[in-house]
Parts: sequence; C-alpha cells; structure tokens
Amino acid sequence: MHVQAEELPMVRKTNKGTKIKPDKATIAFNVIGYTLLTAISIVCLIPFWLIVAGSFTDEMEIIAEGFKLFPNTISFEAYKSVFATPEQIYRAYGVTIGVTVAGSVLGLLLTSMAGYVLSRKDFIYRNSLSFFIYFTTLFSGGLIPWYIMMTKYLGLKDSYWALILPPLVSAWNIILMRNFMKSIPDSVIESAKIDGAGDFLIYRKIILPLSTPGLATIGLFLALGYWNDWFNANVFITSDHKYPLQFLLYKILSSAAVLRTQTGAYLAANVVPPTETLKMAVAVVATGPIILLYPFVQKYFVKGLTIGAVKG
Amino acid sequence: MLKTKKRLSLLLVLSLMITLLAACGGGTASNSPGNEGTEKAANGEGAAGEKLEKVKLTWYLVGDAHKDQSKIVAEWNKMLERDLNTTVDLKFTTWNDWMTKYNLLLTSGEKIDMIFASSWADFYKLSKQGAFLDLKDLLPQYAPVTWGNVPKEDWDSVTVSGGIYAVPNTNPEYTPLGYVYREDWRKEFGLPEFTDLDSIEAYLDAVKTQKKVIPINGAAYENVNSLYKFWNDFQLIGGDVIGATSYDNPRDIQILPYTEEFEAWVKRMKTWEQKGYWNKNALSSNQEAGDFIKTGQGAIYWRNPSSAGGFINEVKAKNLDMEIGYFPFSRFHNYVIPTLPSSNAMAIPKSSVNPERSLMVLDKLRNDPEYFNLMTYGIEGTHWAKGEDDKTIVIPAPGVNLDETPRYDIASWGWRYEPNMKKEKGGWDGLDVLKEEFKPISKPDIFGPIYLDYAPVKAELAAVNQVFEQYGKPLMLGLTSDVDASLKTYREKLKTAGVDKLLEYIQEEANKYFDERGIE
Repeated sequence: MHVQAEELPMVRKTNKGTKIKPDKATIAFNVIGYTLLTAISIVCLIPFWLIVAGSFTDEMEIIAEGFKLFPNTISFEAYKSVFATPEQIYRAYGVTIGVTVAGSVLGLLLTSMAGYVLSRKDFIYRNSLSFFIYFTTLFSGGLIPWYIMMTKYLGLKDSYWALILPPLVSAWNIILMRNFMKSIPDSVIESAKIDGAGDFLIYRKIILPLSTPGLATIGLFLALGYWNDWFNANVFITSDHKYPLQFLLYKILSSAAVLRTQTGAYLAANVVPPTETLKMAVAVVATGPIILLYPFVQKYFVKGLTIGAVKG
Repeated sequence: MLKTKKRLSLLLVLSLMITLLAACGGGTASNSPGNEGTEKAANGEGAAGEKLEKVKLTWYLVGDAHKDQSKIVAEWNKMLERDLNTTVDLKFTTWNDWMTKYNLLLTSGEKIDMIFASSWADFYKLSKQGAFLDLKDLLPQYAPVTWGNVPKEDWDSVTVSGGIYAVPNTNPEYTPLGYVYREDWRKEFGLPEFTDLDSIEAYLDAVKTQKKVIPINGAAYENVNSLYKFWNDFQLIGGDVIGATSYDNPRDIQILPYTEEFEAWVKRMKTWEQKGYWNKNALSSNQEAGDFIKTGQGAIYWRNPSSAGGFINEVKAKNLDMEIGYFPFSRFHNYVIPTLPSSNAMAIPKSSVNPERSLMVLDKLRNDPEYFNLMTYGIEGTHWAKGEDDKTIVIPAPGVNLDETPRYDIASWGWRYEPNMKKEKGGWDGLDVLKEEFKPISKPDIFGPIYLDYAPVKAELAAVNQVFEQYGKPLMLGLTSDVDASLKTYREKLKTAGVDKLLEYIQEEANKYFDERGIE
C-alpha cells in the first residue's frame, strides 16, 4: 500500500500530455458550483467582516449611521480600551492557552482511558459503572453545594485547578468515547494479548492510534470548552493575574457598561470607553486565535463527527 | 440480574445518604464561626489598651479593582499594621454577574470579615435571612467614633427586626430623575424653561417640527416611564405596576394601571407617539437616547443629577458644539427623597472570624482622613492632588496622564462620611446648585425599606411582570392602534395574572412597615 501511494503522482505526471479534455457538462457544473460556493461563502463571511469593520469604526459614526462594511474613518478607540493594560491581556492569553492545553490533554487521557475500560467486554462491572457515570447527567447538586465543595472541601478558590478540574471529564464525552472504541474489533485486542502485550501497551499502542478521529473530536470539544469558559473564573478566581482571556474580556465589557450608566459628575469622565465598538473588538480578540487553529484540526473533526454519527 | 439490581439500589441509598450527610455537615460548619465570633466579642477580647494580636482580615467590595490596587492596599496595610496590627486582603466581585457571586459568598459561609452591603444588593432580604452579624452590641465598643457620628435615622435604616446589620454611609445623596436636553435649541426656539408636561411637550414639538429631529431617539421607554412616575407622583413599590398614588398618601396603595391618571397618561402618550416624538422601534432599540444627542440626532435623555453632570462633562470634553441643560422632575411636586443610607453600607457576614477587628478597621477608615483619603481617592500625588483648600482635590494630579493612571474609583461608597469627603475641582457646578435646591425640600424615603420577599406570591409576580412587559410597555409608548381597547385588555390580563393577590401582599407588608415606623 505504501509503495503504491508513492507511485501515484508519477503516473499522473507522465499522463500530463495526454490529459483527457473535460466535456462541456463538467465545465458547466464546475462553473456553477464554484460561483455558487463563492457566493455562499461570501454571505457567510460578511458577518465576520462586519464585526472586524465594526471594531475599527468610530463609536459616534455607528450611532449616527449604523454599522457599515467600510467605515468612513478608522478608529482604534475600542482596541485602546481592550489593550488599556496590555500585560494583563497577554497574561490572560497565557492563562487561557495553558489551561486549554493542560485541560485538553489531561481530559483526553482520562476520557479515553475511561472509555476504553468501559468498552472492554471482559470488564465485569462495565454496566454498573456506566450507569454510575450516566446517572450524574440526570441530577446536579446545584450552584451552592458545588461552590461549597469546590471552595471549602477541595480548597480550590483562586487556584488554576478550579479552571481545569470542573470541565475535565464529562459523562457525555466518556459515553461518546466508549461507543467509538466499541467499534474497534475485539480480535485486534485479543491478538495483541496473544503476542504478549499488557493492558497499558494495548491502550497506548493499539487503541489510541486507532481512535485518533474520536480523540480529535473530543479534544476539540474540550479545547473549545476550555477556551470559551468564563464562568468558573467568574466564580472561583479572585486575583486578577489569574483571569483567563474570556473572563477578562467579559469583565472589560461589563465594567464599560457600568461606567456608562453610573458616571458621576466628574470632569475626568471622558475616559468612558466606547461600548458598541468595544463589543466588536472583544469578539475579534477572543475568537481570532481559535479561528486560526480551526483549519488545521478541521479534517479530524469532520471525520470524527461522521463516524460518531454512523455508530450512534 | 438480581444481583446487579441489588447492587444498584444499595448504591442509590448510599449516594442519598452521602448527600444528606454532606448537607448537614455544610449547615453546621457555616453556622459555628459566627457564633464563635460573637462569643469572643462578648468576652471583650481585644479591647482598647491591651496589645492586639496580629490578624488578617478578608474584605469584599462590589465592582472592579483599580489598576494600582495592590499598591494602594499595600500602603493601607502598612498603616493598619502600625495602628491596629492588622492586614486586610481586599477582594472585588467584578461587575460581571456580581449578584450571583455576592449571594454565593454569603450563602456558602466563606470566611469574610466585611462586605459591601446595599439595599440594591438585597440587604434587607439577606439580613432577614441571617446572612449578616448583628452589630448592635459590638458597635459602641469597637467603632465608638462611628457609633457617635452616624445619625439615629441612619442607624434606623439598617435596623432589621431590632438588630443593626450594617454600618451605613453618611452622605446624603439626591438622585431624582430628570431630563438632560439641548438647552441651545430651547433658547433658539424661544421657549420657556420646563415646568410641567405642557412645556416639555412644546419643546418636543419644536424639536420635531423645526429641527426635523426625533427628540427621544433610540430606547424611549425609560425616558417616558420616569416622566410618568414623577409627573403623577406615583411611588412604585416593588415592581412596575403597584404603588402608592402619592408621597402624602403612602397607605393608598393601588394597582396603578387601574387609575384614571394612568388612562389619561396613555392617551396623551398616544398623541406623542403619533407626532413622532420617538421611533416605532423604541421598545426594541438598545441604543441609549443620550448617544443620539451627542450625534445631533436627539434632544432629550433621562438622567439623575450626577450622571447628568457626567454627560455634560463628556459633551464638553469631546468639544461637541452644544449646550446641555438639566431639568429635575422633582420640580413637579417640590420634594426629593435622598437615597437610603443603607443603599451604601458595610456589613459583617455571619462567617466572620474577627468582627471586632473588622469594625475597628472600618472605624479608622471612615473617620481618619489619612485612611479615608487613601482608600477613597488613591495615593496623593498620583491619583489626586490637594486643591486650593482642604476640601477640594484635583484629579488627575499635575503631570499624570489619565490614560495611564485612570482615576481611582472603587466601591468606596460603603464608608463615605460627609465631613471627610472632598469636592473635585472642575466638576459640573450645576450639581452644587441642585444640592442647594434639594436640601430644604428633602423628605425621608418611606418606601425603599419595605421588606418584600415575594415567596408567597411568586407565581403571581412572574405572571404580572410578563403581562406588564407584553401589554403595559407598548401601551405606555402609544405603540398600539386602539388605546381604549388595549387598555381594557391590559387591565383584564393583569386581573387574570393575579395582580389582586400581589396587591394584597404588598399592602400587608407596607402596612406592617408603616405601623412599625408610625407612618400614617
């Protein structure tokens, strides 16, 4: 198989001169297809462009004339307010990236191990354990007991662990992973066993490589979850150098809103940040990096989702 | 099969028991520290004279920390260590979702020695529920200066069923609503100053017909609603539908949409809407009317005096070529209600370990100018500088760039004490004029402290609010085609939503309060 794949481009190269002309129907199909797709993607991109353009528009212009695709004058006011304390934004980026990477890797490890164990038919307690996990999706203790447990008994107030632990393992992900791993034939595991492999070796050398699409999907879920999470920080983090990005941006927005409604009779009140354009700038700052990351993991994502869909 | 079932039921029972046990444990744990605290205080530990043991306190404030917060708190802690052998860890809720966090902090029994409390942060409800410590016996001993200089009425406002649950701020503030408007346009039209509804209507009309500008542009509801309340002298109690018909008749509590005044009002608003004083999308727009004044596309915006000052200063700072006037609605009936002293206060949660020391720190903070200035205005020379006399300050200090060092402005409202407060040079001078106008016509707030918890009428309240949103608001803005028919529907819908039961409950609670305070 490996050799064939290498040879394929060679064959194409030699055939270059005698390429068969595509017939008219194909050309027509391509033309229509490409124009249609271009039009649709432009329609999809316009809202994004509107956000980017909006973030560079002058606040007064938006109020007077509404949002425009191309602003009359370019203003950096909104970005000035977001980056009023640049060190803090960079720190917050660091915290978010750190938490996202650590959380996703750790979460993937735990989810895949749990999923693998539950998918093995020779694990006697798999059904009761599955039920135990499934059971937690039906009930929750509510905000206050959760908060008390996290702060009083686990002592996680104002700790990075408060950001990493709560979304780490979710029952839904484990069930998804278990179903995915069930599709790996038992005979593979058995043959490995006959060859003398232990459970961890099987997990590491056979199961993990075979379930990359599943891992990528859940990894992306986890990463997106960690990237977008602000609530845990809202509740548990009190020192401002530990704020993750989303929470910091949300904080900037909400304090701008409060400033607008509560400005006193100060002469220095002209430091009120713009609210409309600030929202746009915050959206750009928050989504930028993850959008850049998306094209690289997209292929796994699509594959993983479809496999998950077929197997239920 | 049978085996698994057994195992499962066992598991269920076990997990139930665990949760039960956990709940009990949590309860007792959160109660005990408070009791300890009071016992200690009763024994008179840490009284003046003897050497104080070193203590670290945790204080919580609502809102955001300042950029230089750590510097200022470090400075403060130096002073506290010198005078009281104490340090304070000052924490902030930040403004996002602060109400959830605030409630969590108090209900979870986290160890906090002092927290900002306010009537608008459920102070009365929380103290009835026992979230705060009764300070009555502690105050004279540990905060003697404050105990002496807070007026009795102010202590009354934080007294809930016989206990004093917070230390209120001492700084009467007047926040009646009013309109900021284009004064230059009024002069241009040759119109008289606002005195009543007719003069306001004349102005709106001139703006619309002569300037071809929608006078109340953007979100109009609050602009109209505040005028409605003040013009009719309605004192709403807990919600938008029920209230006293006037300040002088506090016990005459009615369903306001059933009154003749309301009918006359919505008919008039229909004519205003037809004349185009606001947009058709006035209810859904989320753009503040004030923003349109700044772009020359609007003329009127509701504000209280101090935010009117902020607005006027902003217009000045942006060099917009316009003159802005301010008309407080208090002139309709010639009285103002100062904000409740309890709208800004400091309270000690039940979970506090060192309530005595916390009170000592608060006493210093309120009354010692060195402490007060640092925590209220920031570091002298950086965040502010002395003005020509002792009572004025200049912000920013000379040579300081406001973009790099924003004004120091944290939630210092809780420890305000008027004699220590300073006037900012260059503020809106209209505010002082208004203060002079308000002082002689001030009347106490007899509606704010009415305790409403709504538990018995939860369903009715939700239904009434829903009806109000759906039928009441459009009616107020004349956004229905047939006013009489809509008014009839609105009243009927309110009835079926159970507004009578809500009225009964509010009347009962209000009467309880009025009886207690001897208000006729």
